Amino acid sequence: MTETFFGSKVRQRIVLFVIVGFSLTVSFNLFKMQILENPTYERKSEENSIKKIVKYAPRGVFYDRNGEVLVSNKPAFTLQITPADYKSNLTPMLENVMQEDSGYIVNVLNKYKTLSSTSPRRIKRDIDFQTLAWYEENQENLSGVNYIIETQRDYSFGVMGGHIFGYTKEISPAELAKKSEFYDLGDYIGSKGLEKTYETYLKGVKGYNLVLVDARQRVISRYLSGTEDITPVKGNDLLLTIDLETQKKAEELFIGKKGAVVAVEPKTGEILAFVSSPSFDLNSFSTVTSGKVWSDFVNDPDKPLFNRATMSIYPPGSTIKMLEALVGLQEGLLVPSTSISCPGGYQFGNRFFKCTHVHGTVDVEHSIEKSCNTYYYKLMLEIGLDRWAKYMKMFGFGNKTGVDISEESAGLVPSSEYYNRVYGPRGWTKGFLVSLGIGQGELSATPIQLAQYTSLLANFGETYKPHFVKGFYDQEGKLNEFTFEKMSVNIKREHFDIVRKGMYDVVNGAGTATWIRQPDVAIAGKTGTSQNPHGKDHALFIGFAPYDDPKIAVAVFVENVGFGSTHAAPIARDLIRTYLKLDKKKNQVDKTNIVGIN
Amino acid sequence: MKVEYKIQDKFDFLIFVPLLLLLTIGLISIFSATVNHPTAYGNFQKQFFWVITSLVTFIVIYYMPQNLFRLIAWPSYIFSLILLIVVLVVGKTVYGAKSWLDFGGIGFQPSEFAKVGTMLALSSWLTHKKRDINNLKDISIALAIGFIPIMLILLEPDMGTAIVFMAITLIMIFWSGISLFSLFVVLSPGVVIFASLFGFGPLVFVLILIVLALIYFKKDIFTSLTVFILNLSSAFFFDFVFNLLKPHQQKRIESFLDPMADPLGSGYNALQAKVAIGSGGIFGKGFLQGNQTQLRFIPEQWTDFIYCVVGEEFGFIGSILVVILFSIIFIRLLNLAAYAKDEFSSLSVIGILTILFTHFVINIGMNVGITPVIGLPLPFVSYGGSSLLVNMALIGIAFNTYKNRREHT
Repeated sequence: MTETFFGSKVRQRIVLFVIVGFSLTVSFNLFKMQILENPTYERKSEENSIKKIVKYAPRGVFYDRNGEVLVSNKPAFTLQITPADYKSNLTPMLENVMQEDSGYIVNVLNKYKTLSSTSPRRIKRDIDFQTLAWYEENQENLSGVNYIIETQRDYSFGVMGGHIFGYTKEISPAELAKKSEFYDLGDYIGSKGLEKTYETYLKGVKGYNLVLVDARQRVISRYLSGTEDITPVKGNDLLLTIDLETQKKAEELFIGKKGAVVAVEPKTGEILAFVSSPSFDLNSFSTVTSGKVWSDFVNDPDKPLFNRATMSIYPPGSTIKMLEALVGLQEGLLVPSTSISCPGGYQFGNRFFKCTHVHGTVDVEHSIEKSCNTYYYKLMLEIGLDRWAKYMKMFGFGNKTGVDISEESAGLVPSSEYYNRVYGPRGWTKGFLVSLGIGQGELSATPIQLAQYTSLLANFGETYKPHFVKGFYDQEGKLNEFTFEKMSVNIKREHFDIVRKGMYDVVNGAGTATWIRQPDVAIAGKTGTSQNPHGKDHALFIGFAPYDDPKIAVAVFVENVGFGSTHAAPIARDLIRTYLKLDKKKNQVDKTNIVGIN
Repeated sequence: MKVEYKIQDKFDFLIFVPLLLLLTIGLISIFSATVNHPTAYGNFQKQFFWVITSLVTFIVIYYMPQNLFRLIAWPSYIFSLILLIVVLVVGKTVYGAKSWLDFGGIGFQPSEFAKVGTMLALSSWLTHKKRDINNLKDISIALAIGFIPIMLILLEPDMGTAIVFMAITLIMIFWSGISLFSLFVVLSPGVVIFASLFGFGPLVFVLILIVLALIYFKKDIFTSLTVFILNLSSAFFFDFVFNLLKPHQQKRIESFLDPMADPLGSGYNALQAKVAIGSGGIFGKGFLQGNQTQLRFIPEQWTDFIYCVVGEEFGFIGSILVVILFSIIFIRLLNLAAYAKDEFSSLSVIGILTILFTHFVINIGMNVGITPVIGLPLPFVSYGGSSLLVNMALIGIAFNTYKNRREHT
């Protein structure tokens, strides 16, 4: 700048350079931002202003085998808090209205700390009408609090089914880590029973509404008038094998009793009724289960959450005798006419094993009819432990049935290998076998295993693994059937004829359960008593009907009541009558008569 | 003898047409930013009224006799200073700055008027026949003319406007033919103060550079020492003043240095502005379709962040158009300054150019994220009556000069 006079050419040029230079810098920046980096900014801009409001999908409905609703959905009001707009001085008042302990809200909010403070948290599901009314009245003073309508399980169709249907629970952080693809924090996931097993079908697909929000996350309007919204897809409905009426009856029959019943269609393995008693009211699980409700269940000495039908293991008692007779016949150890003389017990070594009565001369058929222990003490010794164990396994004992609810026990079928392991090769004697022969000792089975065994007896050694679900309905309403594993026992049909006849005699001859004999249906069955070292014996009854074309096989187990005949057999009888609609038919006939008279 | 002129010789359409386009773009953008706003929806009508009013003002000034501006230079400067003192006493505080005077519902910023007064006073002082721009006394008085309003405006405090006044003072001195050494003396204290904001190390570094520069200029030891002590004391003086500031004011200055450090505080607007402009793409999201704008992600967008509306809704095409229109106006003003018939006219036009250009640089720079967030409106485009009125008055003075540029030659 050597020329130091007013408005020189050099100074003009410097000013021009500054003007053009800045304009070019801005132009270059605009080019970079609006053209080169446009996608980045566009994404940021959309994230800025579009908010997803999750719409939860209703879960699939459970239908019984005839299409009757077992479990459905109903709307429920869920109270939510959005921390960004919420003032914590509202907490004591809210807790008071919701009848929750102090600290409840803080606990829930802490659980969702990782979520953005502008997304709402579900504080309490299924709030009652008073709470809702209170909210509506005080709405303007409750910033950051709102409610949404969600669907919730509706169990008002006459069956409890706690152990069948199970329940959903909020997904745990550990599960969430594994399944983050499909679930978000605060989502519900099947936790027990069918809700758990068929979670993938039942859950449906979450939807969402896209809304435009301003800088303070307040909703301004729908994004693109809702055209980009995803409508939630309801979960697939399941067609269950359960028969609503039979299930209802079974639950009714177990009121005040402890035990379990499993009723199965012998040809298909389809479970018709399934009760574990005492049970629990699923409604207690449909809301956010408070710690108190939960501990009440856990600490109940009757263990209502414990699924006795699949998890309790007890000696099957005399119900096992048909299996042994079949083995004897199949293995050629017996012919139908093979008879023994029962003197009221059996001397083995220096021990005398008692029989229930002095039965005199009994053949195979009568040994079942009369439940003669002596016959089976002897037979068991002839069969031998490992051959017996092999057949026991063939009938499904000692292994889980694989029923489509996850909690199940395998029970125990002792073998020589087992005894060697537990007692040492010299620690056990053949005397152990004598107890096993009448289904006592270390042999143990679950009610569902007994039901499966009964199906095999009813259907001449063929059935399918027990299951609760026939299939699911797809979005078009078409039923897609599931297939289940077939079971077959390699024993000749003629041998089944013998033992089935014995079971027929139990009810219809001079057997142990003749008092449940029915004029309109032939029930075949077998009583049993499961010895209980801790208290009164458990009563057992297995049976099927009609005898010549079995439609239903039942295994009943009642805890601490004594003999099977008096306490378990009537339950089986009532279920059979209900399922075969014998009482209904009569009622219908009566009704027509009345109509006729009028 | 009077010569007959064509209309385009008396009226610069190359400035006026871009100006009308900018006013139109401004009105469209203000409409878009406020039409759905709960409190600011009336701003379009208000701005429309101010556009008409300021166009009338522009025409009135255009027809004024040219020597009027020289005559009113000092009275308007004195009046400006009085208003700037009055506003510190009875002014209304808006966004932390006590900068508004209220005349029965009509707000008015004395600092806007002071731009005109200071620009005219500097023009008058610097172009007086007896002045030597490289004389220490004359240059000191020129600096004082600029710095008295700057100090008063910093007391409001209004950093942005103060920067405009600094620019006016320095560029007008520059245009007047200041020597490189004198310019160095004037600028170096500013550099020292700026360096001191970054800590002790940078301050020492800059002071060493100043010593080296002084050696380069080969001035006598007394002059060199005076300049060095001036620089040193300005650093201490600034530090003293900085510590007198309230914490939120200090924070403002710190945020000025690194706006991205605090994304939800004062840097939030800067980020949102970039997102708005960047998401516009080539053709923009369309009128009233910008989600950043319509969802009000940028507070008070119709004032200092109006350029984002253009960027978001009209894209690269719209944004670049605004830059081109401004560039045309600036280059035409520079031409006018170069060919004006007298130094007073030339320097006033440079002053006008400086005022408009500084606003443009700070506002657009802030919007595209290349300069810190300093609240200054974009001339002719941003919402605001007194700012528009003053800017149109400035253009009126420039057009008056244009009209008269060949008289008496």
